[in-house]
Amino acid sequence: MVGDGAPSDGGIPNGARLIRFATAVLGDEPEELAAARDDIAAAMGGAALTDTAAVAALFNAIDRVADATGIPLEDVKAEATADFRAGIGIDDFAAASEKGHGA
Amino acid sequence: MTDISYQDLAWPVREDITAAHRRTWERLGQPGTWLTGGERVAIAHEARAAMDCRLCRARKEALSPNAVQGSHDHGAHRAAQLSELEVEQIHRIRTDPGRLSRAWYEGLADGGMIEERYVETVGVIANVVAMDTFTHALGLDPWPLPEVRSGEPSRARPAAARRQMAWVPTLAPEDAIGTVDGELYAGRASAAHIYQAMSLVPDAVTGFFDLVVNQYLPPQAMRDFDNEYRAINHAQIELVAGRVSALNQCVY
Repeated sequence: MVGDGAPSDGGIPNGARLIRFATAVLGDEPEELAAARDDIAAAMGGAALTDTAAVAALFNAIDRVADATGIPLEDVKAEATADFRAGIGIDDFAAASEKGHGA
Repeated sequence: MTDISYQDLAWPVREDITAAHRRTWERLGQPGTWLTGGERVAIAHEARAAMDCRLCRARKEALSPNAVQGSHDHGAHRAAQLSELEVEQIHRIRTDPGRLSRAWYEGLADGGMIEERYVETVGVIANVVAMDTFTHALGLDPWPLPEVRSGEPSRARPAAARRQMAWVPTLAPEDAIGTVDGELYAGRASAAHIYQAMSLVPDAVTGFFDLVVNQYLPPQAMRDFDNEYRAINHAQIELVAGRVSALNQCVY
């Protein structure tokens, strides 16, 4: 549900906590990862922690499938997301020119 | 045999995740479509070794990965069955996926890369990354790689696969209807591009999506916003997914 979280959460409950954990999972600071993990477990519960870890891990893998095969974004998704992709900088990613919409 | 279990962990892991991880590890050691079990496990070893590779680290820090030349570091495990070309493929996909390019892919092809082996290798790497990142996130050591099972790859290529939307040849859903590969799309005439990405090797798709539906969501749950299926809700799931993809600079 979007809209219930504090402003720092981006409008998503515990959003800042989840962003911190996802960032730490891909980072290389073990202490920060442990702290982010404990924070989620304490605030959201152990099941939320392991489900969050599962999603972060899966997308760390699925990104590689997309990037290594060179699939483009579907037309309908590209059109629906054009505004915010430009706005948040996705179009500036290194691969955007050859793997983005219409590549 | 690796006994995958999360029962001793301080936090509960859904049984469907554990079961999917067990199936993934069992498949990893078996002969695939274009790779032997030994090659698949060697690829998994190499994907892990890439994380400590000095060349990969230097390339990652460079403005362009092409600006840094050298040889990849590998562990003592390195199997003779992996060529330098395959080692380059594995290391780049594991360590710097956001800057892979069509020119890089075509360079591998010019060097003798076999596309069917390439696609199956992508699948092996994806499986290992999904499970290794999960254990890392929860403070666990990675699981020991599975035992190698003997046998020969089936070498079955979908007859209707062709180069179309991606760098790699793919099997379009509409082209699969009525063929022996039709069950990949369950008779549907369309599918998300990410599902089609590895369709040159259908078993790579079905194997990886065993993890997708259990670590993320089954297809019917993705857009069912009236119900929640996990301990975090749809918005929270997509926030985490989006953050990871942004860090990986994934355009898709």
